[in-house]
Amino acid sequence: MTLKQALVHGLWEDLPPFRLVLGLCPALAVTSSAENGLGMGLAATFVLVFSNMFISVLRKVIPDKVRIGSFIVVIATLVVLVEMIMKAYFFPLSQQLGIFIPLIVVNCIILGRAEAFASRNPVLLSMADGLSVGIGFTISLAVLGSIREILGAGTWFGWQVFGASFEPFEFMVKAPGAFICLGIILGLMNAYSRMRGETFIQT
Amino acid sequence: MREILRLIVVLSLICGISAGALTVARLNLASRIEKQSDFYVRGPALERLFGKPAEELLGNKISLPIGDHLYPIFYLTEGSEITELAVEAPGPGGYGGDIIVMIGLDLRENRMVGMEIIQHSETPGVGSRVEKASFRKQWQGLPVDEPVELTSQGGQIDAISGATYSSKAVVNGTNHIIDLIRRHRDDIMAVIKAKGE
Repeated sequence: MTLKQALVHGLWEDLPPFRLVLGLCPALAVTSSAENGLGMGLAATFVLVFSNMFISVLRKVIPDKVRIGSFIVVIATLVVLVEMIMKAYFFPLSQQLGIFIPLIVVNCIILGRAEAFASRNPVLLSMADGLSVGIGFTISLAVLGSIREILGAGTWFGWQVFGASFEPFEFMVKAPGAFICLGIILGLMNAYSRMRGETFIQT
Repeated sequence: MREILRLIVVLSLICGISAGALTVARLNLASRIEKQSDFYVRGPALERLFGKPAEELLGNKISLPIGDHLYPIFYLTEGSEITELAVEAPGPGGYGGDIIVMIGLDLRENRMVGMEIIQHSETPGVGSRVEKASFRKQWQGLPVDEPVELTSQGGQIDAISGATYSSKAVVNGTNHIIDLIRRHRDDIMAVIKAKGE
């Protein structure tokens, strides 16, 4: 894979969570508003870029038998760091995201990229991969959060979108709304890809 | 044998370096995190307890070291008299660890003004309901010198249904504070007086 490929593959071809269908737990749980989705995506991107970097640096040092354990330690360290930084500088966001920040540790996208990519590729390429998948994840969560927030609360990033007469579908900001929204987006993306004759989609 | 040794050394090194990095980060960020939680959590809690603007209350803070724990205490004065205290302490026994509780105390009438939850890791929607006003208002007017207990144990606090552990942790935190006041009232007063001078 070239650097350019590594930089763009996470934006459409391997777009998480829609294409990889990984990391669904945070994608469904925190996207009740656009801001939460964006915040979660950025936190995950930070962890992803640096976990890919450290794991790629250490890939020849880490013995194969304890690689998963080593990856988890690296990822967990970064996540705790993100949690502390968020508490120090973006306290309200950290209260909103709550338990889902520590849960980035077990986000399968991050461990997945570490195992499938960073442990076999040089540093720069791994960081590019992390950045690309991370940005894809951030955009996806922000879009998912936006749709749910606009329909479910009538606001976007806290701004009133509709007039006072708009009755929000409260259902959209609850858990079932997340599943339905995700399903519709996934369906539309697959239909579009099939129409264009792209070959990488699951049929 | 050599291989096992290598596994142990590499894993230990990774863990050691990670722990070191986190310690450094914590030392650098702790005071900022404390300030943020004063502003976003303790400030609003104090406003609800005493009905005065947070800026006025947050400055009146002392930290009382007892054992190896540091208890944040806020106070209100009228002239030279200390009229109200807000004491914060952990309540053990929650479903997700300690629940940090703050109790407002009216010293002139020896009654509680109210209870606030400062920090918890309870299950969202279940244990987190201890933050609800309907649960918290049970503390208003309770005497300062008697331990509280859940009604199921013959006490005066109605537990939240489905969240007995969380409710109990808040009760434990309250009793922790009652005990603290009973034993260390004079120490607290002395520290506040010393700060005022």
